[in-house]
Parts: sequence; C-alpha cells; structure tokens
Amino acid sequence: MTEEIKADMELDLKGLLCPLPMVRVSQNITKVPVGGIIKAVATDPGSLADIPSWAKSTGNEVLKTEKVEKDLIFYIKRLK
Amino acid sequence: MLDIEKKELMIQTLKNKVNKQLLYYLDVCARCAICRDACHQYKVTRDPKYIPAYRAELIRRLYKKYFSVLGKLFPKIYEAKDIDDEFLLSELYQVTYACTGCRRCMYYCPFSIDTLHILSVAKAILLSAGMENQILRELSDAAIMKGENIELFKDIFVTMLKESEPEIREKIKDKNAQIPIDKKNADVLYVALSGMHSILPAAIIFDKAKINWTLSMFEAANYGYFLGDSQKAKTIADRIVSEAKRLNVKEVIITECGHAYRVMNFFYEAWTGQKPPFKVSALIDSISRYIKDGLIEVNKNPSSEIVTYHDPCQVGRNGGFFEEPRYVINAITDNFRELTPNRTKSWCCGGGGGLVAIPEMDEFRIKTGEIKANQIKETEARIIISPCENCRLQLDSLNEKYGMDIKVKSMMEFVAENLKV
Repeated sequence: MTEEIKADMELDLKGLLCPLPMVRVSQNITKVPVGGIIKAVATDPGSLADIPSWAKSTGNEVLKTEKVEKDLIFYIKRLK
Repeated sequence: MLDIEKKELMIQTLKNKVNKQLLYYLDVCARCAICRDACHQYKVTRDPKYIPAYRAELIRRLYKKYFSVLGKLFPKIYEAKDIDDEFLLSELYQVTYACTGCRRCMYYCPFSIDTLHILSVAKAILLSAGMENQILRELSDAAIMKGENIELFKDIFVTMLKESEPEIREKIKDKNAQIPIDKKNADVLYVALSGMHSILPAAIIFDKAKINWTLSMFEAANYGYFLGDSQKAKTIADRIVSEAKRLNVKEVIITECGHAYRVMNFFYEAWTGQKPPFKVSALIDSISRYIKDGLIEVNKNPSSEIVTYHDPCQVGRNGGFFEEPRYVINAITDNFRELTPNRTKSWCCGGGGGLVAIPEMDEFRIKTGEIKANQIKETEARIIISPCENCRLQLDSLNEKYGMDIKVKSMMEFVAENLKV
C-alpha cells in the first residue's frame, strides 16, 4: 500500500508553461516550514526536468513524482 | 555596507571590463536624449532611471571614481560614485535586470551606443558581489543540474514523448512518424523548449518534410545568458554542443527562441574560441526554407481572420530574421497586416531579457507592454504570430490585461495547423 504524503501547501500549476511551474515552486518554498511539503500539480512535461533539477540545485528534495492522466504531481520537501 | 573584499572584487570586475568599446560608449554619449523616446520602459513609466543614457550613466559614475583622475580628485563635481553607494547599487540592479535587451535605443542612437553591452558590465559587477537576480540564478543552476543528471527525468520524459506520437501520425497521415531521441548520425538535432508546445508542431513539420532529425534532451533557453554569467551560460550551451557532437549531427536547429539562437550562433564561439562543428539554424529560417524548397506545402487562406506579426527583438533586430517569417505568413494568408512600426524599429513587447520569469517584474512588464498592446489593437488582427517564447508569454499577459481579443501563436504552430497533408 502506497503511503499518503501530507502536503502543507498545494500549488495548481496546470496550464503554466516552463519555466513558470519551477518559478512558482521557488516563490512558495519559503512559505512552508523547513521539513514542510509542497504538492505541485503541473501539466507542462518540461516541469519533469525543471522541478527535480531545481530541487537538487537548491538543496531541497522531490519526494515523489506521479503522472495521473495529464497531470504531473510533485511532492517537494523544503530541506533548508 | 559591502565588505572590503566584495568592494575590491567589484572594482576589479569593472577594471577587467574596461575596453575600447566600453570607453567609446561612455565617452561619446552626447546626452541628446533620442534614446529616451526609443525605450518603451521610459515611454510608459516616465521614470528617468529607465532612460538608456541614464542606465549607462550609472556605470560612467563608477568608472570616473576609480579610473579618471578628475573623478578621483573631485568626485562631487564630476559625479563620481563609490561602488558601495547603496542608492547607486539599488538603481543599477533595477535598471539592469529590468532591461529587456531589445536594443531599440541603439538603433535610434546617432552613435549606435549599445546599452545592452554597458549593462552586461553592470551584470558582471553585480554578479561579483553576489547581487545578481535570484530566480535567474536558480533557473541557470537548474539547467546545469539537468545536464549533469539526465536520469532524473529521462525515462518519464521519453514516455510522454511516445504518448504524443499518435497525434503526429494522425495529423500528417503517416504511421511511421515519431519523435526520435538519441538518434546517431541524424542530419538535424532539434533543440526545443521544455514543453510539448515547442516539440509537437516542430515534429509535425520535420516528419512531413522527411527530415532525418532527432530531439535534444535539453531545452534551448539559456538563463545564464539573461543572468549575465557567461561561465554558466557556456556550461548550459555546452550540454547541447556535447550532445550534437556525440550524435554526430550536421545541423543544430534552435527552436523559436530568440536569445537561444544568438547564444548558439554568435556567443558560443566568442566564449570558447571554438566554432561548433555543425551548422546552427533558427527554426523560423528552416521552416521558410522547407516551404521554398517544396519540402512542405501549406494551405492558402484557411480563414479570413487578420493575422499580424510581432518582430521579437532577439529574432529580428538582434538576430537578423525579418523577411523569413513574413515569407511564411504570406504563404498561408493574404490577410497579413503589419504592426507599425516594425522590423528594426519594432517596439519591444516588454517581456524579453528573462522578465517573464521574474515574478517581481510582473506588474512592471505588463505595464510597459502597453505600447505593444496598442499597436496590436490598431491592426484589428485576431491572430498574432511571434517566434519567441518570452514574447508569446508576454503577449498572453497583454492579451488578458488589455483585452486584445487575439490568439497568440508560434510560427511552427501556425504552419503545423495549416500544413497540406
């Protein structure tokens, strides 16, 4: 059974073209506490590369990426 | 207050950037103010700090303080400023990262002063003190990280590409059409943007034209260039150059993204001293050639809607492509209506220079796009085409804000929609 991830904030990024999904995550990451999680839902496939790369380069972590029909769902944990 | 080490670093950076070109620009400006009315940002805001000559003046004040005898001796009289002057640094940051790099001012300047070049010096100074724009830095770092960690996204990205292939096959009635990845000895490496909107229409065109092509794993956009960090910009461009060499392609076609074409075709060689071992083309030029050479055919006058065209500054004024896009549009419609003015004197839309990616600039860029919005409304067009992603994102914002009631399209989208199959 898959463990449910509880998000502190949800971002609806559907329809936004890259790099805007990544920009919105970056803008909001400091609005959750360290250890907090953002659930971001995007539709632009470019975000599949952008968001994990952004997380890695800024010292944050993508816990999970899911594809549900056309939605791309990212769980991003603030690490610092 | 800056610490001594940072201050020394900034002065050294300015010293390293002083060359004949910069000195010419700083010396020759006659303060005639012709550039004032050429800048859309000043024209809309009437804020003097956006006058191109004033932006240059900030660098001139620093130069006088450290490299001119009179400026050193009589700083107040000669308006020489310390490099840690907080007001100057704050203005320098604002006017530098606000500039879209459209270079309209240069075309109007009687001495062809290139404000963009002067502001590249400003960016280098700000970078040396760690005062660069944060989101542009994050975008640059993420792009570099992508190049080093393809495994982070490759599998799921390829899956999504494969899922899109039936749409191409249906569109061009070819059951073998596909989006090739990692294809060695392909003739063409196509470098798209991150999203499918810049992959699908191009794939339709390439497959219909029977081009032996392959898709790059990387996006064309280079935020290191907007950041003003030539080292990062080079590293980002290197991902594509290495991929093109590995796949042994003959030609790299850069998607409809003005600065990305310029980076690959003009700046890469300047930064590395090496000419890439392949031809670099802009997609807009390739599409125009495919139509001229009969590789693809388009339907004429599919609708009676008026179509207009926005010359992206990096594609037109700075890239040299004025007639190619007009050739393509005229091949599809007789209802083409130009914006006035256009070509070298085209107004910037206000979104270039990476501004569309900088959230704190949102209000400013939409406000300063008012001239472009008015120009578009005057044409009564229902479709506007622009082969630049930054421009299209900005035109979408302007469409919403100024009620332009217009569809914003890329050239590849316009062509793919009207392809004869």
